[in-house]
Amino acid sequence: MPEAIRWLYAMRDIMDAQLVTSDGVRIGRVADIEAEWRDDGTLVLTQIVTGPQALAGRVSEHLRPIARFLLRDRFEHTIPLDEVEQFGPTLRLKGKAEDYTVGQSDRWIAQHILRWIPGSES
Amino acid sequence: MKQWLSLALGIMTATGGFLDAATIASAAQAGAQFGFGLIWAVLLATGALILLVEMAGRFTAVSEKTYADAIREHFGFKLYLIPLSAEIIAESLLLTAELGGIAIAISLFTGINWHFLFPVAALLVWLLVWRAPFSFIENAPATLGLLTIFFLVGIGLLGGPPHALWPTLWHPDIPQGQMATYLYLVAATLGATISPYLLFFYSSGAREEHWTWRSLALNRATAFIGMGFGCLGSIALVVLGGIVLRPLNITAGTLGEVGLAMARPMGIFGSLIFATVLFSTCLGAALEVVLAISYNIAQGFGWEWSEDKKPVEAARFNVTLTVFLLIALGIGLLGMDPLQIALLASTVIALFLPFSLAPFLIIMNDRTYLGTKTNGRFANIAMIFVLMLAFVVAIVSIPLLILSGGG
Repeated sequence: MPEAIRWLYAMRDIMDAQLVTSDGVRIGRVADIEAEWRDDGTLVLTQIVTGPQALAGRVSEHLRPIARFLLRDRFEHTIPLDEVEQFGPTLRLKGKAEDYTVGQSDRWIAQHILRWIPGSES
Repeated sequence: MKQWLSLALGIMTATGGFLDAATIASAAQAGAQFGFGLIWAVLLATGALILLVEMAGRFTAVSEKTYADAIREHFGFKLYLIPLSAEIIAESLLLTAELGGIAIAISLFTGINWHFLFPVAALLVWLLVWRAPFSFIENAPATLGLLTIFFLVGIGLLGGPPHALWPTLWHPDIPQGQMATYLYLVAATLGATISPYLLFFYSSGAREEHWTWRSLALNRATAFIGMGFGCLGSIALVVLGGIVLRPLNITAGTLGEVGLAMARPMGIFGSLIFATVLFSTCLGAALEVVLAISYNIAQGFGWEWSEDKKPVEAARFNVTLTVFLLIALGIGLLGMDPLQIALLASTVIALFLPFSLAPFLIIMNDRTYLGTKTNGRFANIAMIFVLMLAFVVAIVSIPLLILSGGG
């Protein structure tokens, strides 16, 4: 079992980690982390970012505007860092799956595409 | 007790990963052209595979993370794209070849042209991944694959290998000008056997089976018995090819010629057994390949996944499965011979083998995931040796393919 984490490192314990909700549903992975300059001069990590545009930006900064043009921010989602209960290769979140917009593609596909195919629900 | 029934995972992984359309044909061809001269390559490949499978299983049992999870988490999204791209290309081609194998097997039973049966094969595989729970997917092809034992029966019925054949085991008889072909078959045997998709599947299967650190002994047994079983089947085919096809100077280029090898000792019954074995190994392989690539994508992107979940509970995962079957259907309808496609797929796999296997060396030494169960010195040295082997295979496969004129 992994040891308790004493020092938090953004890349090791947050970046690319699996996001799991309190009811055990996998909703996605961390694509990027948003940080904010506070007035007192500190840099604070504020939000987890998920979505194809953020992933495109990880591959190359040049891809970010292209992805934004094609996808129009429709698939980008954020989760405030204080929603995270446990850090590590898996981030355990405080809320349930329906509390987050991340992973809503699964629900959308289930409701609009899969239900027309027999055998998808039983 | 139930845990030990999941030895089936190992046998199925072997049946799907070790024995399929490509390896059946290449094993028979190896026997037909060089007698026992390539058995050492099968044994070497088996050794490497046992090492890799044990590591994949150990990693997942202890960390409760799969191999694809680990690649994304440890190396980041950008580097994850390298093995992912290789897998997407290779598995799309391989899936097409396996569906072709299923279609050919059904055509051997029914007499219908296999081109028309191709969509039937695709539909069959889709129905299984859509509806069947993991335990069924694991057990059904494995059970049918046990028929491979009949290859050994066939050898017995033929009175065993003739005396002249035994020396080729340690002193291969390579005719003039055939060295490139011989070396090509060595590389092909290694590359076709040590397939990364097998590791993605096995690792995910260990999660489907809810293995924990308590499953380490089971994992070791499964790795040895499962891969050992596959090895036995391959060797049996090489021997059969040597006994039946070599004296007749038939090189087993098509599945039909391999069927001949089976038919001789047992007549029509032998042909039916062969068709059944071909069906079950290609079905096992098709399931394993389509699941491996879909597991890889779902896990890499953090989606819900599992064959034990209803499709609506793992929507993107199931869509991915369907999309890959449609891609394979599309490639298949172009009409290329399944063996040629399998050859192409194996070459792609061989080229990227070092990149697909290198992550193992690093994650197997990561204490965050494995705690005290990281690799010992022997495992690390063996792994480095396997990686060097993979590099050699990657570098020589295309030149040898050209020099030998397609094997």
